[in-house]
Amino acid sequence: MAIDIPTRTDQLPTSATRFIGKAVNRIEDPALVSGTVEFIDNLSLPGMLHCAILRSPHPHARITGIDVSAALELPGVEAVLTGEDVERWCDPCFTAPEGWGNYCLAVGKVRFVGEPVVAVAATSRYIAEDALELIQVEYELLAPVANPDEAMAPGAPLVFESRGTNVIQSRTYTWGEVDRVFAEADRIVTRQFRWNRVGANPTETFGCICQWDLADNSLTCRGAYQTPRFMGIGRAASLRLPANKVKIISHAQGGGFGGKGGPRGTDIAALLSRKSDGRPVKYIEDRMEYLLAGGGQSWDRYYDASLALKADGTVTGFKVRLVDDQGAGAEGYGTISAAKPLAAFTGNYRIEAAFYDLTLVATNRAPTYPYRGYGPPPHNLVLESLMDVAARELTLDPAELRRRNYIRPEQFPYTVPSGNEYDSGNYAAVLDRVLELADYKGLREAQTKARAEGRLVGIGVVSTVEPGVFDWNAYATVGVPGVGVPEGVKVAVDVFGSVTVAVGFNLQGQGQFTIAAQVVADYLGVDMNTVKVTTASTDVALPHFGQGGSRLGVAVTGAILGACEKLRQTFCRVVAHVMQTEPEQIELLDGRLQMKGAPSHGMSIAEVAGLMLSRSDLLPLGVEPCPEATFVWVSPNRNQPDDQGRCRSYLTAAAATHVVQVEIDRDTGQVKILGYYIVDDCGTRLNPANVEGQLQGGVAQGVGAALYEEYVYDPQCQPLVSTFVDYLMPTIHEVPMTVKDHIVTPSPIAPLGAKGCGEGAIHTTPAALLCAINDALAPLGLECRETPASPRRLWQLLHDKA
Amino acid sequence: MKPAPFEYHAPTSIADAVTLLARLEDEGCDAKILAGGQSLMPMLAMRVARPDALVDLRRVPGLDHIRLQDGHIAIGAMASKRAAELSELVRERQPLFHAATRLVGHQQIRNRGSVGGSFAHADPASEYPAVALVLDMEMVATGPDGERVIPAAEFFVTYMTTALEPGEILTEVRMPVLPAGTGWAIQEITRRSGDLALAGIALTLRIEAGRCTDARIAAFGIDATAVRLGEAEEALRGAAPNGESFARAGAIAAASLADPMSCIHASAEYRRHLVGTLLERALAEAAARAH
Repeated sequence: MAIDIPTRTDQLPTSATRFIGKAVNRIEDPALVSGTVEFIDNLSLPGMLHCAILRSPHPHARITGIDVSAALELPGVEAVLTGEDVERWCDPCFTAPEGWGNYCLAVGKVRFVGEPVVAVAATSRYIAEDALELIQVEYELLAPVANPDEAMAPGAPLVFESRGTNVIQSRTYTWGEVDRVFAEADRIVTRQFRWNRVGANPTETFGCICQWDLADNSLTCRGAYQTPRFMGIGRAASLRLPANKVKIISHAQGGGFGGKGGPRGTDIAALLSRKSDGRPVKYIEDRMEYLLAGGGQSWDRYYDASLALKADGTVTGFKVRLVDDQGAGAEGYGTISAAKPLAAFTGNYRIEAAFYDLTLVATNRAPTYPYRGYGPPPHNLVLESLMDVAARELTLDPAELRRRNYIRPEQFPYTVPSGNEYDSGNYAAVLDRVLELADYKGLREAQTKARAEGRLVGIGVVSTVEPGVFDWNAYATVGVPGVGVPEGVKVAVDVFGSVTVAVGFNLQGQGQFTIAAQVVADYLGVDMNTVKVTTASTDVALPHFGQGGSRLGVAVTGAILGACEKLRQTFCRVVAHVMQTEPEQIELLDGRLQMKGAPSHGMSIAEVAGLMLSRSDLLPLGVEPCPEATFVWVSPNRNQPDDQGRCRSYLTAAAATHVVQVEIDRDTGQVKILGYYIVDDCGTRLNPANVEGQLQGGVAQGVGAALYEEYVYDPQCQPLVSTFVDYLMPTIHEVPMTVKDHIVTPSPIAPLGAKGCGEGAIHTTPAALLCAINDALAPLGLECRETPASPRRLWQLLHDKA
Repeated sequence: MKPAPFEYHAPTSIADAVTLLARLEDEGCDAKILAGGQSLMPMLAMRVARPDALVDLRRVPGLDHIRLQDGHIAIGAMASKRAAELSELVRERQPLFHAATRLVGHQQIRNRGSVGGSFAHADPASEYPAVALVLDMEMVATGPDGERVIPAAEFFVTYMTTALEPGEILTEVRMPVLPAGTGWAIQEITRRSGDLALAGIALTLRIEAGRCTDARIAAFGIDATAVRLGEAEEALRGAAPNGESFARAGAIAAASLADPMSCIHASAEYRRHLVGTLLERALAEAAARAH
């Protein structure tokens, strides 16, 4: 039976929505703020051991000997795991492209500082860390490759000898008549950019408790898992277990942002459990481990890019060469983030041709992982910076240049040269609103005045598209198979009419439990406080993915609508049978199943569920006594990519324009954000407070990437950042509270018209800040083309000029 | 990030604490005093500090006073920075120390961190040692032979090293009240609010009859200890308090620095430049307060 998923809120079986579209209180927050949520580090199991990991101090070295005898003699130490065990019991993690994965502990050699070498399970974390000091590892140092230039030089040392090269992938994409548009261009602007390594830093690092059942030869892993099912499949593969022998229990997480995905901690704790007679083993990654070599390093990029324009400012072509330092292999799926820009390569603009020359390189830096936005934030910084350079050269206002090139509202659905189809948008309306909100004219007047006083004041006006609801097909070109990312739920009504929604994911902060409750409550016409959202472990959960790629709010909405529609159909059959009429004569409206045209004849949801569960004699033939339904939602109408990576990948295209005003202190290089304005359009706002929270959080991370954060390595590839003293996460003092408004252009194809918006402002903020900084520097003829635009860097620019 | 094993002691009087330290020293035991723990605890967790024993002062009474005594302000070593920040006495009578306190970390850190701890820890990028040099503060150390008073100029020896002997406990810091009409300022450059300074300047300035008569200036965050900037002080003596002389003092100060520190956030050259800029700005700020 075909299930139609409503794309508009007026298609819901309710006279007026009571919860969707309103900033209702989040149902997950009371437990979070009162500390009753069970984060993994708060859980202890009987007989549990604690894991500590000895990590490599060298970026590249052969392991010539390991002596763990003294550690094993320390009272309280129950098991020690080395590369020898690992090589016997498991395989390297799988990667995309294949064959660039490491074992969970170094086997034979180490490839980056912080790589796990030996792991200990002991009765306390203190003893486990004491034991690490008793372990002797002998290394034979190898020359490291510290950056892509070194890695690609002839005769360079190899990070993975068996590969015969350090180049993970190198290919070009050509979309449209690139050579022609550049040949016919009236103006070409070209710049190089360096985006230094930054990444996710959730409040809670990764943690897990793994228990190997030696009788059943099965594994149960509890922990801070962002994508439990994916993690389960990966563990089955690397630990050589049938997939149904690995159970993942996802606990609530103190944030994720992409940094929770690493498999090593789970594999190590699992094997330590196996080696200590099946006792549960807890591993809590500490912040130094996380910063050194956890899942928090991303986007280490060298760009060379050009924009082709006509004299009137029409942008006709965009070329990008990207060399991306992936670090020591592809275990963290950093490769994917270089492919994601294909989903919105040319941003908000009508650009007829584009070219992408992409080289992914392995070095002896830590492996890279996903980070919120998963690739486009640096790409957007390049495109938007070039737009500003072009505007300056053409003496056009940067806002005006953008407006002239926007995809127009009537052109949607719009297929970008790189293949994805944008569902809808109204970019000019977003721009108009934000310019009004910011009093853009007033800002420019203030800037003119400040410049006359010798002050360096700049304004950034930056537009971006946020691809929402990711699909595997976007990443086919880097070796990820498949089309369609499932998200499954079960909606169950009990005998008293309360509703339980079982999902496959757990809390991470974005508020999807609340979204789920809002949707189910409006569909079934019940109060939100009768809805319970719960997480199913992977052994019983439906196919699902969870958070990632700005998808879950939309995906879980689709899944719930599907399950509710199935329930509605069943309820109509039951009620029709009882009322001796046809199901077509029964409708669901505001929580009642009633006769069309005679609404006083009907039953409440609770009455129908109660009847189904307690009066099987009244059920029609073929209806089970089960007021429950499952539905696995997948983005509609996705397809396989062609040889240039072109496909309908991300379902929705949200958009935003930011206006930011900054001032640079000439003498110290410090940047002060004077004003920050955002207008976004993510279609239907299922919960406006959630959207605002996601935007503000994205601004914080964008401020960090643009001005503060950087994983610094020295020329020998030693990391120089291992604590928050040096990895400069911005605090509430550094992040402006932004002035926000929005436009609503509902998606015509997504559930309830909502577009993915979870990544939010991180797509836009780094570009907006750098553009504002360069606008401030423009009168001096200077440009900063490296992130973060730290005081040291800006002062050096200003100082060298002076 | 768990500390290496250590003995834990929590004496309940200063006499007991001193006796305990002497015993531990006799036993060859490396003891460390724990006050607010805002620097020591992370260092223990990272196993950067690995003392054999910790002597926790939190149960020792009588170390948290903030009072006017004999014409100066005395602050007990265990008084929290937050208490100093909230003290009317400190705010009104020694505004430079008050302003410096507000620059230390964030409020949560100032709630736990002790005033004495920052002096004993002697981080060269922290504000207090520089203020101590400017104000000629005195440190009171209590040891087996009783109390001794150490002038600030002798207290800070080098990087995180003070003149305190192993058996001594810093029990009080003393500072003069700021004479009426004295200008003062503290300015620093940090990467984020509450961070340790990349460079900072603390100073007092006396102006009489339109001339600078006395400037006391210290820089922090640039060398192994806070440093007095004597050449700049000298250059200001007798100078008119204006932008020109302040800029000249800044340039002289920058040029006078021997070998500024360098780190990933600030090169030596950048630090040198910051000292000049900060001094120029701090002098202007102080001059506006002087009368």
